[in-house]
Amino acid sequence: MHPTEDALNEYADETLGAAARPDVERHVVSCAECRRTVDGLREVRQAAAALEPREAPIRAWMRVERAIKLEREHAVPRTRRFAWTSLAAAAVLLLAVAGGVRMLITSPRTTPAVASRQTPPAGDAAPPANAAAQSVETELRQAEDHYEKAIKGLEAITRTEQGALDPKTAATLQKNLAVIDQAIGESRAALRVQPTSEPAQQSLLENFRSKIGLLQDTVSLINEMRKGNDAGAARIVSGLKQKGD
Amino acid sequence: MAGQSDDADLAARCQAGDLDAFETIYRRHSARIYSLACRMAGSVDDGEDLLQEIFLQAYRKLGSFKGDAALGTWLYRLAVNHCLDFVRSKQAKMNKLTETLDAESSFEPTARRDTPIARLDLERAIERLPDGCREAFVLHDVEGFDHRQVGEQLGIAEGTSKSQVFKARARLRAMLKGR
Repeated sequence: MHPTEDALNEYADETLGAAARPDVERHVVSCAECRRTVDGLREVRQAAAALEPREAPIRAWMRVERAIKLEREHAVPRTRRFAWTSLAAAAVLLLAVAGGVRMLITSPRTTPAVASRQTPPAGDAAPPANAAAQSVETELRQAEDHYEKAIKGLEAITRTEQGALDPKTAATLQKNLAVIDQAIGESRAALRVQPTSEPAQQSLLENFRSKIGLLQDTVSLINEMRKGNDAGAARIVSGLKQKGD
Repeated sequence: MAGQSDDADLAARCQAGDLDAFETIYRRHSARIYSLACRMAGSVDDGEDLLQEIFLQAYRKLGSFKGDAALGTWLYRLAVNHCLDFVRSKQAKMNKLTETLDAESSFEPTARRDTPIARLDLERAIERLPDGCREAFVLHDVEGFDHRQVGEQLGIAEGTSKSQVFKARARLRAMLKGR
């Protein structure tokens, strides 16, 4: 009779009690099936223990940094907190959108579904060449939806609050937004011609990120102006101008 | 390797608002915490969210870091607890049985069966383990906790930890085929 699965696992882990060990050991020596099981368990365990740390994507630090900065910006006295509900909502929105688009920013070719298509089982017919491309397109569309929702939310906030900005700053912002919108249009045009072009995909996403960053700067600027922090506001305005130069 | 005085200095600088100091802490420890988070959550997307939440929490709580342990150890404990909170809330919300069965049936390792287990295959297979046995497996076989510690952390009996880990290994062997 074969030892139980638990006994084989404990034998493989070398944690099986001294009383049970000799019987299991004798059985494993003489039973090829159980020997294979024990070898397999040990191999899984050794491979698991040898797994190396995975590097976090570069954008992960940017997300942490941005979240900390937002948190600092919104750490205002309790009496003023209520007035900033919409700005806090913007922060939440930003975090949500950053999470929503990750599936695409991580190279689509490394996703399990696509990776498994790259190595079809022997004897299987190769999948249609456009299957992966369609999947990438779908993911890109989803990412666009996420970004567009976030942008819409931020635009609504900046529209409502734009009275807080002086006309010159508002004009600079509009100019910068127009430049980014043009770049988004160009990326989309490139993708229409070549839907699987990775540089075009990355460029589109980068432009979305730029737009969100600019809108976020606008929200921060409004925040600083409302707090009466002229130095902080001037720093942000200077950054906006540099981006537009 | 960073010393404890260096850790205390970095923590003090962070509390004084030095974001560069916090970035140094992040660069030193993010890979280990990101790996833990991805494996515990069973998804790189959730892992990245967890990484962000863990470091935000660390930033807020750095004032409570007394330097008794190394900063990496303090962060790691924070990360494990945060991942466990995530796992518990996820388990309360979801029943992933169908999803898990579908995922397993669609798994195809890239490495040949007669070669050592490829790291990427194992990472993908771990992601497909059912909730419950995945966390026990990660804590025991990857992170090196013993069954008593795994049981304490997951709020289960030591024997349950064993059976969950053994179940995970059996499923991994099936997914990685012939092992």
